[in-house]
Amino acid sequence: MEDDDDNFFSSLNRPVNNFQNRLRNAPVDDDGDVPIRDAPLFFQEDEDETPLQQLIRHWMNERHAPDILPTEEDLLSRLLDHIRSQSETVQLLRSDPSSSEEEHFRIMLAQTEVERVKFIVRSYLRTRLFKIEKYARFIMTNPEVQQRLSESETDHARRFARLTDQHFYHSVLQSLPDTQQTLDDQPPFVPPMVTEPEKTRAVFVHARQNCAPVRLPDGTGLEMQKGHISLTPYATVEQLIARGEVELV
Amino acid sequence: MAETRQFGDLATQLVMESRRSTLTDTLLKYNDNLVRSIVREQRDLEKLTDNGDAVVSPAMLIFQTAIVRNKRCLLAYHKHRLDRIRDMYWAVGGALPHILSNQDIRSKLSPHEVDFLRQYSASVMEYRAGFSNELDITASITHPPKDLHVLVRVVRDCGVIQTELGSIDFQKGQRFMVRRADIEHLIVQGYLQEV
Repeated sequence: MEDDDDNFFSSLNRPVNNFQNRLRNAPVDDDGDVPIRDAPLFFQEDEDETPLQQLIRHWMNERHAPDILPTEEDLLSRLLDHIRSQSETVQLLRSDPSSSEEEHFRIMLAQTEVERVKFIVRSYLRTRLFKIEKYARFIMTNPEVQQRLSESETDHARRFARLTDQHFYHSVLQSLPDTQQTLDDQPPFVPPMVTEPEKTRAVFVHARQNCAPVRLPDGTGLEMQKGHISLTPYATVEQLIARGEVELV
Repeated sequence: MAETRQFGDLATQLVMESRRSTLTDTLLKYNDNLVRSIVREQRDLEKLTDNGDAVVSPAMLIFQTAIVRNKRCLLAYHKHRLDRIRDMYWAVGGALPHILSNQDIRSKLSPHEVDFLRQYSASVMEYRAGFSNELDITASITHPPKDLHVLVRVVRDCGVIQTELGSIDFQKGQRFMVRRADIEHLIVQGYLQEV
């Protein structure tokens, strides 16, 4: 029974002959349905990881990391392309009166899956947007962080930083005496005005492979074997996350 | 006029207001009077520190500290309100008219905050436009979708909506089985209710 189920679902993943053939013959569909698994892989260790699984990993990393991680634009645009082509395919097949009952069932599964992928993409983008707005001023003064953002994200950060500055100016600062109008004071004993990511925050990391040793803040080393989970400050494992050797959980 | 209050008392009141707002999870009315009073206090303090002689007296230090603190409190109050306003904006799926047409909310915002909200919305919409072919990034991210379709009850008339099944005229009291993606924003804005 189990086996049957497995076959059923894996056959959904594979381009189903029936669908594929009809698509090829369909007159309006000119870009074809390119299976996303053929897309080039960037990392050695991702070989058995589908783009969706990659995105889920980056999504979890992003949600747990205190800092903004580099944008996954290539991955994202591939997935978005796939979502679009799948939606178009679904539309096409739905309006085809010769689709059988079984195919309609498959269409429904495909649609549900598309909605779920959309959810993850959305949540991933929104998580980034939340951090971008939180650290907008810090981002705009720091070109290194800007490199980790996509173009539209940088635009939004710039607009948002300007917007909050304007709002503060109009509501408060303009009525204060001239000497008090700055927005980047660093008075002693209080936190600075520009919010920066708190890199010392503790995170749970899960090693996806055997990792190079990292140095903990107290000077001792930490060498994680594959599958190992540990709780460390974010700054310690920053490099490992960037190389994809560990994931945050 | 009780002149016994200390420098910074007003700012403490302002911060307490932000705290109340967080604890009760509501947006309070913009406290224009209090903000103005604190700004006045700031000017008075500035005059006190501006006496000309270069001698740093202990009193001067107190005034300086009060100035810095008041300013931070003012900014914190405004920042806190902006955060709440942004939360509100996302909670209704970025439907700006929905917030601005609500008199109750509108009366609590200062004119500058309304401006902020408009421009913020414009910025988000510009960002969203980059993905408009594939998905709507302002849709809900609290619950992952489990079903394609959802049974809804119409709470308020919302006119004719284009859905997958053609256009449907949603009238109060009716029930429909519709595709979630088509009407999600109407649930968020309170026109429809999941059954």
